[in-house]
Amino acid sequence: MLTCIKGGRVIDPANARDAVADVWMHGGRIVEAPPADVRADEIHDATGKIVMAGAIDIHSHIASDNVNRARLLLPELHRASAPNPAAAPLSNAPSSTFETGCLYASMGFTTVVEPAVAPDAALHAHLELADVPIIDKAILAVLGNDDFLLEALRREETPSLIGDYVAWTLEASRALGIKVINAGGAAAFKANVREFSLDDVVPTYGVSSRQIVKALQRAVDELGVPHPLHVHCNNLGLPGNAETALATIAAAEGLPLHLAHLQFYGYGNEGSRGFSSAAARLAEAVNGAKNLTVDVGQVMFGQTVTISSDVLRQFNARTQASPRKCLIFEAEGNGGGIVPYNYRPGNFHNAVQWAVGLELFLLITDPARVFFTTDHPNGAPFTTYPDILALLMNRDLRAEWMAKLPPEALQVTTLRSIAREYSLAEIATMTRAAPAKLLGLADRGHLGPGAVADVAVYSQASDRAKMFRAAALVFKDGELVVRDGKVTRYRWGRALWVRPEREPGIERRMKDYFGDRYGLPPDFMKAPDGAIQRTDPFELVPCHS
Amino acid sequence: MADAWIDGSPAALRAAAIEAAKLLNASRLPLVAGLGTDVDGARAAIGLAAQLGGAIDHMHSRVLLRDLDVAREAGMMVITPNEAALRADTLLMVGPGLETAWPDLDARLIERPPAPEAADHLRRRIFRLCPGTKSRARHEEAVIGRAAKDLPAVLAALRARLAGRPCSKLHDARAIDRLAAALRAARFGVALWSAAELDVLTIEMLCGLVNDLNRATRFSGLPLTPGDHAAGVLEVCGWMTGFPVRTGFARGFPEHDPWRFEASRLVASGEADCALWISAYRAAAPDWDGNLPTIALTGADAKFRRRPPRVHIAVGRPGLDHDAVEHFVPTATLAWTPAKHKSQAISVAQAIGQIALALASDRASPC
Repeated sequence: MLTCIKGGRVIDPANARDAVADVWMHGGRIVEAPPADVRADEIHDATGKIVMAGAIDIHSHIASDNVNRARLLLPELHRASAPNPAAAPLSNAPSSTFETGCLYASMGFTTVVEPAVAPDAALHAHLELADVPIIDKAILAVLGNDDFLLEALRREETPSLIGDYVAWTLEASRALGIKVINAGGAAAFKANVREFSLDDVVPTYGVSSRQIVKALQRAVDELGVPHPLHVHCNNLGLPGNAETALATIAAAEGLPLHLAHLQFYGYGNEGSRGFSSAAARLAEAVNGAKNLTVDVGQVMFGQTVTISSDVLRQFNARTQASPRKCLIFEAEGNGGGIVPYNYRPGNFHNAVQWAVGLELFLLITDPARVFFTTDHPNGAPFTTYPDILALLMNRDLRAEWMAKLPPEALQVTTLRSIAREYSLAEIATMTRAAPAKLLGLADRGHLGPGAVADVAVYSQASDRAKMFRAAALVFKDGELVVRDGKVTRYRWGRALWVRPEREPGIERRMKDYFGDRYGLPPDFMKAPDGAIQRTDPFELVPCHS
Repeated sequence: MADAWIDGSPAALRAAAIEAAKLLNASRLPLVAGLGTDVDGARAAIGLAAQLGGAIDHMHSRVLLRDLDVAREAGMMVITPNEAALRADTLLMVGPGLETAWPDLDARLIERPPAPEAADHLRRRIFRLCPGTKSRARHEEAVIGRAAKDLPAVLAALRARLAGRPCSKLHDARAIDRLAAALRAARFGVALWSAAELDVLTIEMLCGLVNDLNRATRFSGLPLTPGDHAAGVLEVCGWMTGFPVRTGFARGFPEHDPWRFEASRLVASGEADCALWISAYRAAAPDWDGNLPTIALTGADAKFRRRPPRVHIAVGRPGLDHDAVEHFVPTATLAWTPAKHKSQAISVAQAIGQIALALASDRASPC
């Protein structure tokens, strides 16, 4: 079917385009405008509307064993919402996979990355993702506290062996990239270590956090995995931890590196309360390091739940749980923790955190290197995205919010002095063009011929939050799935993954390893197509040669 | 051998599915219960219940919800069986029924040495609290308390002594003190229990003890889960509905209420007027005495209490007759289990697929 989105303002920074134009789709792809005598089978009038590629979220905890633990821990956080029996079954189940897909699609998002999946829980994550409708998705596999890697580093095994192991893990878990979370910190916590920083050493293994990060960074780079190593640094949430982030940036030594939810590392220890914003210093460092990308992890006020594979940090945060309960889970590798938390606008620390996120967004100059996240649900649920976009695009709105926050909190930040407002083109870069490039998805994030026909159309409104909350039209693979913010068609997406080349010998090595250590064959780590029970559940993304 | 029956008489699968669809369509509140099935069967069963506005319950919810109640009321620290085997230099085995809940307990935990990086030095120390009068003592270094009914008092005394509070009236106070010292000296201790044998307050006390021990050393909990794939079905229910089992969809959205949506109560009260009973791991029959029309998806040899169900479709055993995804105990995650002896027997998901097809055409036809 030939479909035309007619007469909208097409904002497509990847193709240097910002003009009123038609967008044509055929066979699930964007195509060139046909000759004048060819008529579209379906025409959607977008006159006066904004047309962008479908948005891509690079870091949102939407599906994993840890996410599911949070659901089961907190029935009170998802009391049933209004019934909607006309929709597909379960699409209005609060916090369910079905609702996740519908809510993302209604905002014009078409690809979302779940960034923290333990390799042995990959099948679980893929099964959950298979029940997330409409959007495409991917997982990042978590390494860096796993015995195999730490033992390989202790024994000073070759980088090629570590590369083969990383490639084997990506293939077994069907992941799009590798994330490291408090490298070595979870392994150290098992040996009763309670504080762990970049140059601390994991007991028994004698390997430092820095060594782990650098080994994984090199492996991911040399394997040609498009997405650079995705790093959750040590010392998340602690006063003065900007030093840890700066040290990690320096440790990258020019190789590609992605720092996740930088807001949670944007803290100095100045002021009478020993807690201040260090966002300006971090932003300066990011601006100067062209090898580096970051996402923000913006905090918004309200009840949420923190879901993290940084088990050490979650254990230490358990005294701040609100409501007062948490789940701490230990496993091979990272484990994790679920700690409910309520960000309060009257709370000094929470107000600083909110400001730090916005400072990072506004002080990092290149919208292609700063990504739009709340670290859902850790800083805020992804449903707050429209409000954050509005704050980025309107300094008066920021002033209104700041007027309601403790002035002493804003005094230890630079937010009041920042006048920058994001343009629609910058928003399109940050949420479309740049994430596609970061993840190596050449056919997404833009509207050029050949791209996947994932398109979001928004009605112009001065209230940007309203505009971005309910897309006027959303197309997934060329198919209309959302009209006026309501899901009109239910369909199933794919999970994107990479399969770098590796030596075949690693298969034998992993078999022996799992046999010796666990008395098990490594098959329990694998996520085969047949287990998912959907048509074409996976899509392979090429690696760089 | 037949693979489907209507009122006890052999029938074609399609005819049985059509009959099942009629019963479900005529029902005001269908109950989908048992739920002894793999991940795909659970996805199909929960989806069907949502579509029909029914209610779901697992045959082991009572036990499953005890641990979950403690987690969601007070919190919990837990560890996977694999990691416990690699890491634990101290095991605290609490209450009776551990071997019953986990038949591989000896092979997968007790008899496996800790990982080299965890314990280069130590023999693993094992303690048992109130194992019940029938238990055999083998590996244990010390047994404290015997009868299961004494467990709450023993646990309370242990927790009090660990917190440095007096506890004078207990008759084996010295044994408690020795145990408290041993737990404090653990490098990484793991407490095991089976919720089938403990009440909620005892589990909460035990989890509080684990929490207390982490102030100075490392400790975690290992709750043993009930059978019939209860742990895996709980996961599926979590992601599909946001809630555990004992959830209803009658108002068009999921509502979780452990009392309201308990299967035998729904049957006894007459609220449920049709049941889809699923038991693919064993040919178990429902334990209620209700008279409501029942569709059973179980092994062919199920023994039903009073009369055969209105519709019985024989299904295969997951991981044996057909490929399956199941909760994998060692890692406490979901894993792929290829069929050990692939057979012609259909899966629960396939049987529900047949019923759903019949439902769609039944609804499309004028009545």
